[in-house]
Amino acid sequence: MTTLLTISDLDVQLRDKQLLKNIDLTLDAGNILGLVGPSGCGKTTLLNTIAGFIEQTNGQIVLDEELVASHDYIAPAEDRQIGMIFQDYALFPHLTVEQNVAFGIANLTKNEQAARVDRLLTLLKLTELEQRYPHQLSGGQQQRVAIARALAPQPKLLLLDEPFSNIDARLRNELMLELRSLLKQLEMTAIFVTHNKDEVFTFADRIAVMHYGDILQSGTPAHVFQQPASWQVADFLQIGSWLPVQQQASKWQSALGPLSEFSSERLENNKVDEQYYLLVKPKYVEIAAEQPANVVVHHVSITEQGFHYLLASLSDEPRLSFQQLSYYSDVCYQQGQELSLNIIAHDYQIFSR
Amino acid sequence: MLTSGIFVSSELFSHLWQSVLPTYISNTLILAVLVVFIALLFGVPCAIIISQTNVVGRRYLRWLLMLPLAMPAYLVAYLYTDLFDYAGPVQRALRAYFQWQSPSDYWFFDIRTITGAAIMLALVLFPYVYMLVRTAFECQDQQLLRASRSLGYSFSKSFIKVALPLARPAIAIAASLVLMETLADFATVQYFAVNTLTTAIYDTWLEYGDLSTANALASILMLFVLFAVVAEQKARAGHRHQSNRPNNHIQLRQLSTGQHLLFAGYCWLLVLAGFVIPCLLLVQMAIDYATLTQLQQLLSSGLNSVKVSVFTATITTLIALLLVLFNRLHSHTWRKYPLQISGVGYAIPGTVLAMAMLATFGPLDHWLNDLAKALSFSGPGLLLSGSIFAIVFALVVRFAAIANGTIQSGVEQIPASLDIAPASLGVGLGRSLLKVHLPILKSSIFVAWLLVFVEAMKELPAVLLLRPFNFDTLSTQIYQLISDEQLERGALGALLIVLFGLLPIIYLNKRE
Repeated sequence: MTTLLTISDLDVQLRDKQLLKNIDLTLDAGNILGLVGPSGCGKTTLLNTIAGFIEQTNGQIVLDEELVASHDYIAPAEDRQIGMIFQDYALFPHLTVEQNVAFGIANLTKNEQAARVDRLLTLLKLTELEQRYPHQLSGGQQQRVAIARALAPQPKLLLLDEPFSNIDARLRNELMLELRSLLKQLEMTAIFVTHNKDEVFTFADRIAVMHYGDILQSGTPAHVFQQPASWQVADFLQIGSWLPVQQQASKWQSALGPLSEFSSERLENNKVDEQYYLLVKPKYVEIAAEQPANVVVHHVSITEQGFHYLLASLSDEPRLSFQQLSYYSDVCYQQGQELSLNIIAHDYQIFSR
Repeated sequence: MLTSGIFVSSELFSHLWQSVLPTYISNTLILAVLVVFIALLFGVPCAIIISQTNVVGRRYLRWLLMLPLAMPAYLVAYLYTDLFDYAGPVQRALRAYFQWQSPSDYWFFDIRTITGAAIMLALVLFPYVYMLVRTAFECQDQQLLRASRSLGYSFSKSFIKVALPLARPAIAIAASLVLMETLADFATVQYFAVNTLTTAIYDTWLEYGDLSTANALASILMLFVLFAVVAEQKARAGHRHQSNRPNNHIQLRQLSTGQHLLFAGYCWLLVLAGFVIPCLLLVQMAIDYATLTQLQQLLSSGLNSVKVSVFTATITTLIALLLVLFNRLHSHTWRKYPLQISGVGYAIPGTVLAMAMLATFGPLDHWLNDLAKALSFSGPGLLLSGSIFAIVFALVVRFAAIANGTIQSGVEQIPASLDIAPASLGVGLGRSLLKVHLPILKSSIFVAWLLVFVEAMKELPAVLLLRPFNFDTLSTQIYQLISDEQLERGALGALLIVLFGLLPIIYLNKRE
């Protein structure tokens, strides 16, 4: 697979505020990259810098072997052949659906324009709506028009800024799958921004987790999910709960008992005074009937995976007690009920904050 | 008035049509088209420069360009005539420098023409265009321009293809406002001896005492006004359809040195011509000619002006507040009609409005006097048509739309949930209005009052026609002095009108 986009050492500073720092990123042709991170982490700034709406202070961007931004050259947005779908779609309110889609292909002959618009309207199931204005469309229809308009000039790269945030929750998953299959069908390379972890796991081939203007980790969704590189990544992606752990003599202790088969040598720069947390996925928590109770149920909800319990520890040890541990079970427990839990030995992931 | 205008005898109308009417109509139309065109030529580029570029002095020009609004057009007309006339300082200096002896030795533009009147009116009306169009550009969703650029259009092309069409309703609204103000103008065109429908109404009624003809002319003028109102309403409807999300993060276009000079020069030229030069000329006149006697006369007419304006502003604001709150809090579909009907008066020229007042209150006064006599009381005289009641009534009708609009936009900022939240806390409607709505609306109420106060201070035709005997306001006094070519004696009063006119601009700018 050829590399379509290479970003090296990219910095963006606006009004003395460092918005992006040392961003290095590559994206292969035909891949969909999901940029995730909390609000204000720099996702949209990165997207706008790639599109050419924000100038970088340092670094370079190469698109399809062409330099589009460097220290001494910045290609204007209109010359980059990068399509963009905006969070609010930014459809031109004074133009019909058909005129919106044809807006970016005015350089083609009338016949070519009509043919391309027809093809896209058919592909996106908009044929009945071509003479309507944006305000006469539903949110989902507006999104489809925005996609058709962005695809019409056949861009090399498509950028999507939180494209599903204005869509009703019930429709969102359906639209995500629809759009992903469309992009794959057109072999389109795309970067999309979201703060929703579920969207990124459904939509992206690769993900990059951002935090305070930096990319903390990038890779395939499965890799990042299984091997988060830092607690921020694990915390943002809500991979599991945090269980305080402490080294006592040669063993690591938690409020749910000792961590068996874990050696502190596996921790880099292990410090005695540091507070460490074990990332606990619900599948590694089990009932241990023989032990005395060590947790109490303080919230119960029902999910498609059974009952979801939020548990608090009964431990008196301040450095080991916790307030919120997720646990799923088909057995019905009551709020306030005390349980005895155990951590199943696995490839432990321990982080300090 | 309209009824008698519509049912005017065909003989009279035929006479009018064969004599003066075509000239009145064509002058009115030519003047309207010229003023709208020039005001757009002045206002739209300024709106683009201030909203889209980093032009040098942008921060100051942003509000300086609004100042000409404080200047009555008839004052500017007089001052520029004084400046550029054959006997004025400009031509005198040119003659002295080039040693020209007579007018036949050189060409110099004649300011007292229909084009001159149009330029004078446009100089003080273009801020309407500037403010409305600038706001339209600033409220446009910047993502639309970005979308256009991501589709291959440059900044300038995106502006022409997207931003300008989106601002079209605002441009149309501004043009209709300028059109209405032009149709309502009386003093400027009269001073320049341009016969339009407003001057014709005034002359036929007051000089020839022909009320029927005046009614007929007023009805024709109302047809033009109706056209302007319909155009404005259509433009507003278009505006609503496009409802953009405001976005104040505009990426300003960086200008080259040459562009800075050109664009800033253009804006400064308009500020100078529309405000600074006339203001300086007035100050010069005041310094040269002001006397204590003038100051005393000024005090009397100034007090009358303030009295009329305070009454007008207070009554108009109270009515607007009631109607706007009624519209907001009532649930019936017809709740909007009182507000809409009360706002129609802004389109009616002062001259026509004055005629309508006299046509209504004159017979009412006679009826009251007859009734008093029948009941053996002494007659109250011209209680309604011969006192400031008629003036205040006319001004309330004329400026209701300003107060309605200002308070309405304040009310629109209040979330609907605040209407019902007090009830959920056991607070009744009256206390809810006093404790919640009114404190939030305080600023809008004040702005509405101030805007109406200033407009009432400046209004001329309605006051001129409706004032009781020996009752002068600043504007009527200055108009008389201008008619007698003696503005020097009223320069202090004129400055006072301008200063009052500046109040809302300063306040609104500070609030912004």
